[in-house]
Amino acid sequence: MLAYIRLVVICWLIYLALTANLELSNLIAGLLIGLAIAAIIRPVSQPLAIGRLPAALFNLLRYTIWLGIDIIRNGIRVARIVLDPKLPIRPGIIAVKAGMKSELGVALSAHAITVTPGEQVVEIGEDGTMYVHCLDVVSSAASAEEAQRKRRAMLERIFE
Amino acid sequence: MLESLSYLIAVLAVLVGTFFSVVGIIGLVRLPDVYARMHATGKVSTFGVVLLTVAAVFVTPLAWSKALVLIALLILAGPVVSHAISSAAYRLGLPVKQALRDDLARHRLDKSADVASQPSPPLTASRAEGAPRS
Repeated sequence: MLAYIRLVVICWLIYLALTANLELSNLIAGLLIGLAIAAIIRPVSQPLAIGRLPAALFNLLRYTIWLGIDIIRNGIRVARIVLDPKLPIRPGIIAVKAGMKSELGVALSAHAITVTPGEQVVEIGEDGTMYVHCLDVVSSAASAEEAQRKRRAMLERIFE
Repeated sequence: MLESLSYLIAVLAVLVGTFFSVVGIIGLVRLPDVYARMHATGKVSTFGVVLLTVAAVFVTPLAWSKALVLIALLILAGPVVSHAISSAAYRLGLPVKQALRDDLARHRLDKSADVASQPSPPLTASRAEGAPRS
């Protein structure tokens, strides 16, 4: 039941954000669409701790800002590599252990790596090892473990 | 005053977004293989499209909430696309050109090896023709 309510609320909020219209008829229409989607998807119920929601949202915001800074920093670095006349790339694939049990955690780690320019996950092994292609393998290999530890701590704070 | 400020932000966002889009396309042309090229095109979607959407919020009647959902979906879906393409390329056997090291190929050659915690081969051992295929 709680899982249904959560899904309906999320769908409703996204619908309202996309239409940007808070009239009563639109509110009702969004609610009906959310109910229809919940009826089709049939979410499985998960333990849901409402008391943790503010902390999780705060950690999500912090993670987003951290990721944004990372994206900008690496974007400038890759732009410099691309515009350099000598094209100083040192490509290669390194293995990084995700160190997380849940598939969602591994997927979100891989997402965070791939969304930053200059590094992207090519393959994920069965044991959760991520094979990361880097434009500059020397500097990425030096910092990959540390970055993944930080990423894991932040993701665990969101979902624990 | 407020209008000219929002115009200024929009112009800045358009300039930076266009700059990164152009850099992404230059990278697509210059970089040697499909994996490196995906880095460059990924930047067009993260910087280029997101910054153009930000600019659109300030100068067109696009609602900020709609733009926020669009940016979130772009950021969520973009990496999935570039991962899917590079993963498909690796499965097809396209070589990683100028690779200094390829842990995935080592993992494929020896399934039982724990590649992540092994010491890596010296990074100076450069291979001209990329990953050996099994």
